[in-house]
Amino acid sequence: MRRPVKCSTTCLNSFPLTFIVFIPAVLILVSPLPAEAAHEFTVYRMQQYDLQGQPYGTRNAILNTEARTVEAEVLSRRCVIMRLAEFSYEEYQKALRQSAGAVVIILPKNMSAMPQDIVQQFMELEPEMLATETVVPVYFAMEDDELLSIYTQTLTSSSSQGSLSAAEANGFQMVTSGAQSKAISDWAITSLEGRLAGVGGEDLPTIVVVAHYDSFGVAPFHKRANFRCILHTTDTSTLHTHFVVFRYNLLFFVSGGGKFNYQGTKRWLEDNLDHTDSSLLQDNVAFVLCLDTLGNGDTMHLHVSKPPKEGSPQFTLLKELELVSENQFPDVKFSMVHKKINLADDMLAWEHERFGIRRLPAFTLSHLASHRLAQRASIMDARSVSPPLATERESPLLGGPHVDVQKLSRNTKLVAEALARVIYNLTEKGAPGDLQIFTEQMVQDEQLSAVVDWLTAQPRAAQLVDKDSSVVSTLEDPEFVFYDQLKQTMNAYRVKPAIFDLLLAVCISAYLGVMYLAIQLFFHLCTEPFSAHT
Amino acid sequence: MTLFHFGNCFALAYFPYFITYKCSGLSEYNAFWRCVQAGATYLFVQLCKMLFLATFFPTWEGGAGVYDFVGEFMKSTVDMADLLGLHLVMSRNAGKGEYKIMVAAMGWATAELVMSRCLPLWVGARGIEFDWKYIQMSFDSNISLVHYIAMAAVVWMFTRYDLPKSFRLPVTVLLALCVYKAFLMELFVNIFLLGSWTVLLVKAVLTGAISLCSLFLFVTLVHSN
Repeated sequence: MRRPVKCSTTCLNSFPLTFIVFIPAVLILVSPLPAEAAHEFTVYRMQQYDLQGQPYGTRNAILNTEARTVEAEVLSRRCVIMRLAEFSYEEYQKALRQSAGAVVIILPKNMSAMPQDIVQQFMELEPEMLATETVVPVYFAMEDDELLSIYTQTLTSSSSQGSLSAAEANGFQMVTSGAQSKAISDWAITSLEGRLAGVGGEDLPTIVVVAHYDSFGVAPFHKRANFRCILHTTDTSTLHTHFVVFRYNLLFFVSGGGKFNYQGTKRWLEDNLDHTDSSLLQDNVAFVLCLDTLGNGDTMHLHVSKPPKEGSPQFTLLKELELVSENQFPDVKFSMVHKKINLADDMLAWEHERFGIRRLPAFTLSHLASHRLAQRASIMDARSVSPPLATERESPLLGGPHVDVQKLSRNTKLVAEALARVIYNLTEKGAPGDLQIFTEQMVQDEQLSAVVDWLTAQPRAAQLVDKDSSVVSTLEDPEFVFYDQLKQTMNAYRVKPAIFDLLLAVCISAYLGVMYLAIQLFFHLCTEPFSAHT
Repeated sequence: MTLFHFGNCFALAYFPYFITYKCSGLSEYNAFWRCVQAGATYLFVQLCKMLFLATFFPTWEGGAGVYDFVGEFMKSTVDMADLLGLHLVMSRNAGKGEYKIMVAAMGWATAELVMSRCLPLWVGARGIEFDWKYIQMSFDSNISLVHYIAMAAVVWMFTRYDLPKSFRLPVTVLLALCVYKAFLMELFVNIFLLGSWTVLLVKAVLTGAISLCSLFLFVTLVHSN
């Protein structure tokens, strides 16, 4: 009879202790960890894709490592932070060799403020960076004040290692959320098509104006400016709607996936030529004019895969372009560049080659003389947008060195004039070379710059574009395999090194010891009078 | 930032309570459940205060940067309920003066520790991000312990029928200081824009002053009897 009572009393006596021990154990097992970041910022991973089975770019995506800069000795399993201004390929290689956990390259907000030689050097390095298949993830982030302060703090702690200040210095833990990157199985390319039917009979020949809107660079976010072509296309289409178009049908096509071997165009062609019974493309096509990089430069090149024959519509356009540029825009140097299609290459040089493969007469207009120039596939080709200036009407036309709205509008006028002359057959009718069809009101600079601002403000890499109104979409593509997880949020948590914890524990123990002695002394001193009293 | 850091903060916060409990001889009197009862009274009083504040004090629609002195003063007045609560606890316990004080103060302070500090420590100190505020919170709990002991002592003295006339005034002043200490701290922070460590220091100094005065008065009172 006594035993149960004894048990229960012992249980009761030890109950407070068990209570105190048991509950925290449960709490440890059950509760999740919170996420409270020192700084949260968006990062863009370097392009990752497979072309014909050949992998390009970075493979991995998850990150949870400490931050260091290149000056630190030990880089393995650390996240190396580099600024673009101090970027050098050797240091990048060094980080990769030491199997760093990740590399984060901080890009300045205002690209045009960067010295040109650094920009040039980086542009040349981009294809090499992509070509080396890296297991470590490489991220690009836009610079802001917090990120800069994180960088400077990491720099000081990386360069001074082993000193006492390192024990209590702030470290940073970089963590990305998100899953491991995997291949996107169905990737839809969005392309847009618009047509203006001609008047004047059946079976009119068609003029096609094509441009691609996506951007490409080593990081899929930059506001690369091939949109100029869209501007051209939209401008030309709006200009021409003012007139009744006859003798020709006009077809405008804005394609996606342009930077990836012109996938959008390829699919569009397949759709129109192989899958539908009749389309404008199958019938009489006068020529296809592809627009590429026309927002800058004082030269204009017409790239052809074979020189146009006399008397053909292509030849007419060539002549009109020469005429208009000579008479109305003498500062533009126009020339024709002949380059044969090389089917052995992985990537096609120009968009017109896609049409050339399908036996459609086509050419590309660009201010760049060669398809190999680095500007075509670089994140440096961005426009620095300055919102306060954009609203002023009197401001000089803004734009970095890479997009010049004045030149863009000039080129637009040139192309539009030439096209109009072809369509309306003005040269044959004896119109002089310097007749201006499109007056000032039609090509408005402010309108252009507003559209430019809007377009450059959005990242237009093929993988990031959402599916809005898609006219042409495609399923799995055997040529390219894309991977997801390109845009992520990275958190930088302020952490202290482990030795700091130990130091703190020692200090706290000392404090508690002192406290214990003080309390003992206090009660010893103060309870004596009471015990004497009672 | 890790479990170790949480352990550090928890030790810093909790051990003085433990030491005080052991050294004050309360464990010999089996005062654990009485302390828990005092803690329950604390919870009840806080609940009543919250209801009262919610009902009678609407949210102040003023400028964001300006500190509402009058409003905060009125809210601090509600803290008088703490005194009533302490008095209630002490009156229910039979025993010597200091026993009553210690039981009430320990129970009250421990309940406050558990309710208002354990959860932020658990959630925050265990996270990846390091912040000094958790260490500061733990220090603050130590200061609160001393504060509540002083407050309990002053309440006890106030309710004594044999309190000498000369003591009435100092005791009342100390009582008022105890109640409005939080308000005074907020005032200092807003006027002088003190940093977090400075605030802690000022709080410690203030609490130390109050507790020394009350200790002095208490010892004198008990001695004179």
